[in-house]
Amino acid sequence: MNDENKLKDTEDQKIDDALESSRRDFLKKVGLVGAASVAGAAAVYSGYQFEKKKHSRGTVRVLTDDNRLVEVPVEEVKDIKRELKVLQTQGREGIKGKKWVMVIDLSRCRNARKCVNACQAAHHLRPYEYHINTLEMQESVNTPKFYMPKPCQHCDNPPCVSVCPVDATFKRQDGIVLIDNERCIGCRFCMAACPYSARMFHWQEPMNAEADKEKAYNIELNVPQKKGTISKCLFSADRVRENSLPYCVSACPNGVFYFGDENENAVTNGTTKETVSLNELLEDNGAYRLMEELGTKPRVYYLPPKNRIFEFREGEKKEYREETT
Amino acid sequence: MARSIYNTDIHREKLESVSSDILRNVRINKGFIIWMGILALALAACVFAYTIQLKKGLGVTGLRDATSWGMYIATFVFFVATSLVGMLISSVLGLAGVKWIRPIARIAEIIAVAFAAIAGLVIVSDMGRPDRLPYVFMFGRFQSPILWDVTVVTTYFFVSLMLWFIPLIPDLAIAKTRLNGRPGFLIKAYELLSVNWINHDRQVKIMHQAMRILLILIVPLAFAIHTVTSWLFALTPRAGWDSTIFGPYFISGAFVSGTAAVIIAMYFYRENYRLSRYLTNDHFEKIGRVLALVSIIYIYFNINEFLVPAYKLKTHDAIHLRELLTGHHAMLFWSVQLLGLVIPVILLLIKRMRRPLPLLLISAVVLTASWFKRYIIVVPPQEHPYLPVQNVPIEWMVYKPTVIETAVTFGSLILVLMIITVLSKLFPVLPVWELAEEEASAKGEENKQ
Amino acid sequence: MRKILAILIILQLLSVNMKAQEWVVPDDRKGRLSTFPFDDNTRSSGQKIYNLNCMSCHGTPGKSNYLNLVPPPGDPATDKIQHNSDGEMFYKVQSGRGQMPSFRSVLTSDELWQVVSYIRSFNKSYKQQFRAVISSSAYPGATINMTLALNEPDSTFILTAWADRETGRVPVTDAGVRIFIHRTFGHQAVDEEKITDKTGKAVFKIPLKLNGDSLGNVTVSARFVDEDTFGTASKDTVLAAGIRTYPVSLVKERAMWNKASKAPLWIMLSYILGVLIAWSFIIIVLLKIRDIYITGKYIESAESEKQNN
Repeated sequence: MNDENKLKDTEDQKIDDALESSRRDFLKKVGLVGAASVAGAAAVYSGYQFEKKKHSRGTVRVLTDDNRLVEVPVEEVKDIKRELKVLQTQGREGIKGKKWVMVIDLSRCRNARKCVNACQAAHHLRPYEYHINTLEMQESVNTPKFYMPKPCQHCDNPPCVSVCPVDATFKRQDGIVLIDNERCIGCRFCMAACPYSARMFHWQEPMNAEADKEKAYNIELNVPQKKGTISKCLFSADRVRENSLPYCVSACPNGVFYFGDENENAVTNGTTKETVSLNELLEDNGAYRLMEELGTKPRVYYLPPKNRIFEFREGEKKEYREETT
Repeated sequence: MARSIYNTDIHREKLESVSSDILRNVRINKGFIIWMGILALALAACVFAYTIQLKKGLGVTGLRDATSWGMYIATFVFFVATSLVGMLISSVLGLAGVKWIRPIARIAEIIAVAFAAIAGLVIVSDMGRPDRLPYVFMFGRFQSPILWDVTVVTTYFFVSLMLWFIPLIPDLAIAKTRLNGRPGFLIKAYELLSVNWINHDRQVKIMHQAMRILLILIVPLAFAIHTVTSWLFALTPRAGWDSTIFGPYFISGAFVSGTAAVIIAMYFYRENYRLSRYLTNDHFEKIGRVLALVSIIYIYFNINEFLVPAYKLKTHDAIHLRELLTGHHAMLFWSVQLLGLVIPVILLLIKRMRRPLPLLLISAVVLTASWFKRYIIVVPPQEHPYLPVQNVPIEWMVYKPTVIETAVTFGSLILVLMIITVLSKLFPVLPVWELAEEEASAKGEENKQ
Repeated sequence: MRKILAILIILQLLSVNMKAQEWVVPDDRKGRLSTFPFDDNTRSSGQKIYNLNCMSCHGTPGKSNYLNLVPPPGDPATDKIQHNSDGEMFYKVQSGRGQMPSFRSVLTSDELWQVVSYIRSFNKSYKQQFRAVISSSAYPGATINMTLALNEPDSTFILTAWADRETGRVPVTDAGVRIFIHRTFGHQAVDEEKITDKTGKAVFKIPLKLNGDSLGNVTVSARFVDEDTFGTASKDTVLAAGIRTYPVSLVKERAMWNKASKAPLWIMLSYILGVLIAWSFIIIVLLKIRDIYITGKYIESAESEKQNN
């Protein structure tokens, strides 16, 4: 009995040794393969560099971004889509020192939908695809009906950005929430998360897809639009970069929209071009934000539909037929 | 001396009889080829539907801006849910020392592997730009539940695969000498996959260690996978999704659909593979009880999920509940809740209903209802957002799944069936060595008495 | 012409009785005239401006396709609008009322006259009168200047206007002046219109929440209200009159909504640790399978050795 146990122990010991040595072998192999691949990669890389130098075909003169004329070897000249790169970098950074804010005066809206049309024209959207939409609203049975333009609220705590898996939609330092359709994977989680239903998806080939094909993608305009990706209101990031008011704001015939920089405490009316103090405008008119209780901290303020200058008319909702491609 | 087990006559005798019973079904016969052929043909049609979707965009589905998640996401949730049964049976019951799950554990893992493997594909079919799937890993945001979901589903799939494979190793070794007349590639595969298993004490010990690690690891993983899936909804501020109990609500629901799926598979193997000796009435009786238990837990979470908002009737919860309880979705809602949950529980309390055939029928209804339950969780909350849906074509306001969408969904189901078929036709569906040991020790007990 | 005007005024007075809210134009504005003659150029410029700013409500002149609003905006080609004098038309477009927005900050005087020119092109019987020469300045032959200063203790801006003549410098008195702060999209008016006093000074109250840059600086510009009389003298001055504002980037903090690299640390750590732990266990299990393989191989070879021996 004892003998058998002893025999078993020695056998166990032997197996242990076998496992141990095989493990050592294994680690050695892993180490060797690792070292070899590092060395190989280094050799290939240095060879590549050497070849590149050896086959130099002279130099060319190139004008740099900061207007210097420099000489570089022909081989090192790479064609890059400069425009796209610049547009992407500046578009993701945003404009320093700004904090854009919009004020919508509901007492002045008569559902002219000029904001909608101007926006759709600028962003190449179909009549029923919206970055901004004017809605017929009624809070409760005994309160009046009114029209409400609804752009993206560019929240400071944006639920849509929180859920994006790939940084395709993001917030910039100036407060604008943008969408990069070069990055978007089309999961539509942001649409599910947005309580304002501010986002749209390209369910089919976008309207101007064919004509826009060659254009460099402008992240601040979201043109060309792309099938299978999200699009949304951009606060006309391309326009505000040039110090002009957003498309919707300047298209309104009735003075509904104010737009400006919160840091300046001033907003400008898109119709009358009058610039007023933001805090006075909000205070004097009892401004509010949509669904404050959700904690989204919108950058769009609404002035209540008090003393409305246009009457509400029933049955102005648009009916569209879906285009099929 | 080294091969300590199967060294008695009883063991050897039992091993022969069990292995011949179970390995009888490991073969590529006409039935298998025809069945796979039919599946492949059907799958080709579904793949064709998907190519149309790829070319024309997701507009070929009924999804639009208001309801932007539909059948695909419901199916994804359903698949993830069903795959959770692997954890319930092997791990929760296994670690608790429940003996009767032995012949069922592998079936549960087959279900888990098949559904988890395809769940990821279903998500891809819902993506507007499936070509950008690698972006999730290249630019992944830690804050997004999607990154977690993708990670956890992948990990869960791997662990489930291991949980299926490791207990299979001894069987492969037993089977590799008993596969006369099977195609050469199968024998070679068995040779390779049995990793020199000779049933030595030492190997058994290592296998037990590996299994213990996996059985513990799978518990947090399974909870993570379905909790994260529930968070895809619960982390959004929408009425109907904005719920704090979504995690446990989803997990308890997952056990219901998974158990139902296992019961269906058990019945199929018992009848088709003629395994009633191992999948006895007693096994059905017991798993029937499990189904009743998990269903009751799920009913409890349902009551919480609907009663609490129904008591307070906050504006948008009220709209959502009205649509479910008496409105547009009432038929579906009540069918799912009553036929798929309440009535099965009542029936399952009756002993006669826990016999194989009635249990199969109940499970089939429960499993179907489970899919519709996911549909009800996913679709209705999107139809009534906080702000009205206006000035859009009529198709944009109401979600109606299209033929293409249905075909693609069926495609994923066909893929699941194909995986299950391959796993259960090319490999033993029941653990030969465990069952032989069990029968031998039972016989040994008898002899002693 | 006078007679017609008088009749028009009487008609208007009558209509005041009929409609409670008749749009009254100040007397001194009614007779105002364009400083240039209307021709095809002014008409086409006017049409462009009209299409952009007016057409959405008033429609195309002559087609009566104006919007159905209360009160109706009216078709500019019809008598309802054509009976206005040039000065009245100019005033109404400039100041706006009720639903009609003010175009004071949108259109310059010249642009407003171009619009009038376009509207008049629909009136066959219209004959233009215009003021060929700019009315003589209040300070003929002088250059008019102004400066702006900040009076910090009183929190006011002080504007001083003067005219330099050959005979010497005199203050510009009784002139309406306004001042504006330059903002991104326009000029923000400060206080109200003021009239310069005997010393040529006007005092403007600085509003309470006037934001400046990080030094409190704002660019202030001053202008005469009646530029026909006092000229277009203006002065842009940078003054430290504002509240110091330090712009803060909105994406500075780690947050759930910020980009991946700005995720809260705990969520990054949980993810990375979770993945590492789970996958190291999986690797351990894979190594265990390898151990099974090695053990089997070792024993097989040991046994075959034994048999050989």
